[in-house]
Amino acid sequence: MFTLLRDLRRLRRDIGLIRPDRGRSLAIRHVDAGSCNGCDHELTLTSSPAYDLQHLGLGIVASPRHADVLLVTGAITTRMQGPLLTAYAAMPQPRLVAALGDCALGIGLLGDPTEVVGPLDAVLGVDLRIPGCPPTPDTIAAALLTLIDNPPAVIPQR
Amino acid sequence: MSIEITETLGPDDLTSLSPTADAAERYRRRVRESLETGWRFAGLHVSPGAGSVRTLLASPFGATHLAGVALAAGCVPSIVDLAPAANWDEREAHDLFGIGFTGHLPLRPLADHDDRVDPIDGAAWTVPVTGTDAYQVAVGPIHAGVIESGHFRFHLVGDRILHLDARLFYKHRGLELAAVGAQLEQGTGYAARACAACAVTNSVAYAHAAEQALGLVPTAELARVRTVLLELERLWNHLNDIAAVCAGVGLAAGNNRFAAFTDRARRVNAAVGGHRFGFGTVRVGGSDLGLGRGQVAAVRADLGELRQEVTTSWRELLFNASFAERLPGVGTLSADQARQLGTVGPAARAAGLAQDVRSISPRLAYTGFEPVVPERALGDVQARFEQRALELWQTFDLLDALLDRPLVPAAGEPGGSARQIGVGRVESPRGATSCVVERDGSRIARMRLRTGSYANWPSVAAAAPGNLLPDFPLINKSFELCYSCADR
Ligand code: SF4
Repeated sequence: MFTLLRDLRRLRRDIGLIRPDRGRSLAIRHVDAGSCNGCDHELTLTSSPAYDLQHLGLGIVASPRHADVLLVTGAITTRMQGPLLTAYAAMPQPRLVAALGDCALGIGLLGDPTEVVGPLDAVLGVDLRIPGCPPTPDTIAAALLTLIDNPPAVIPQR
Repeated sequence: MSIEITETLGPDDLTSLSPTADAAERYRRRVRESLETGWRFAGLHVSPGAGSVRTLLASPFGATHLAGVALAAGCVPSIVDLAPAANWDEREAHDLFGIGFTGHLPLRPLADHDDRVDPIDGAAWTVPVTGTDAYQVAVGPIHAGVIESGHFRFHLVGDRILHLDARLFYKHRGLELAAVGAQLEQGTGYAARACAACAVTNSVAYAHAAEQALGLVPTAELARVRTVLLELERLWNHLNDIAAVCAGVGLAAGNNRFAAFTDRARRVNAAVGGHRFGFGTVRVGGSDLGLGRGQVAAVRADLGELRQEVTTSWRELLFNASFAERLPGVGTLSADQARQLGTVGPAARAAGLAQDVRSISPRLAYTGFEPVVPERALGDVQARFEQRALELWQTFDLLDALLDRPLVPAAGEPGGSARQIGVGRVESPRGATSCVVERDGSRIARMRLRTGSYANWPSVAAAAPGNLLPDFPLINKSFELCYSCADR
């Protein structure tokens, strides 16, 4: 255990993440609406030592009830449209919607028209677009940070 | 011992498809006799035009056979009594193509999410469970965390699981239907995007199937390039799966350490194939990948370093008693259950079944490969956890041997006669993945991808009963199956 922790400390030092204290945070609720799991796998890594979003005030939360951002991966399948909208309806306002990856943005979508409703903006207004198939963890991290650094108008300014 | 490996497809079963009682009996007999002589069920698909159903059988020595049967009054005989592993395949064929399976009772909805409720038995898709104090807990399709979408219905008494029904297909995109009519070369795109975690496996399985149909075999160099890509995919997956088990018991240090390794392994993937998940690295009929002497040496050195660090961290995990004691006896899948259910991959090997498609892959560079099984092959979370490490050392060895010289662009060459149907079988990080491609000239008439995850979902459900509900995330993570490649 000691060795593990020592290695992690060394890893963090080597990576040298710059962490300006933004004094703000956002809670993110992720919904996989029909991804290939690629965007999700890269999103998972944004919490790993090399990117460490939590330290920058961005946490993935378990419930939409206390989420500021709905972060959606994948094309919207007909079977996930309902659960996705339920999660959105459960969020407090103001709330933001982010599309993670080309599928969610409708770029190069693959699938049968009867099974796929379309990109995210076919069902919800999109505030943040993160293109890529999949975008790398640092692209995702940088894009999510813009929500804190340049919050869209719906978020009350300090 | 040298095993002669043959690739055969029985043409007779495919051409003599007439809807007679005799044909139906022949189909069942063929399946029964194959299973009795050690062959395994490897998938079932509906042929183009939905006039017949074809069952893929695989011998322990690498041969494959398709047994076909024509529809009579919309139905074919079920084989689920002979091969319980066909359960999901038949239910899927029913839900997506409307085919009846005589003798499959009850034929519960799988891909069909129609919520029919029987006043006594409850939802049609769940197994009715009744008894004093028995109750249900519904989880998903959205889970608490970055997890794929799917629904679990637990039947419990107190905290103890009596039965688990998994309902997937929330992510069903209809990829296989969408691929119909596309050029054969485009199929790898559909196969890869069925699932990022198995993108290379899926596209190699597809490429093998398409190449078999076109009468092509890979040259030694093409086989080597693809094997490198497959092992690099296994590398990041197994590291990810070890991190997942750590996360499953809340060991943040282990999870973080192995998540960082996963990231590093994906960087190696990008350095070799140009993409962290290997999208676009596999194409039908050849490979354009080139990696010069210096680049190969750098990758090899990087992998050597990674191996050392992973070895140290792995030992650290084993020395952590409070962690290690959480794993034994949880989520046990016995060898008998694994055999019955047709479990594949690390989950089957962790239960003591020494089977691995890599040892019977003439189209890939796995000469002399032998499956590894843990000493303590008890089929529980611990065994599946240890299995990942055993396979990691194999993968590091394989990569080290394969990357001893530059990778150069390579092509397939004529071999075997062209035919209408081709089959590819490849060992994914989760087990045997089969792909069947039926072609219409140069176009896809049908493709079906049956991945290791698809094969193993019923095993997750079988490993759950008797365990505590709070242990389910750990059990689930010890299998670490993809939802996306099951749902497609
Ligand atoms: S954008 Fe690419 S990686 Fe993301 S879900 Fe779609 S296919 Fe997968």
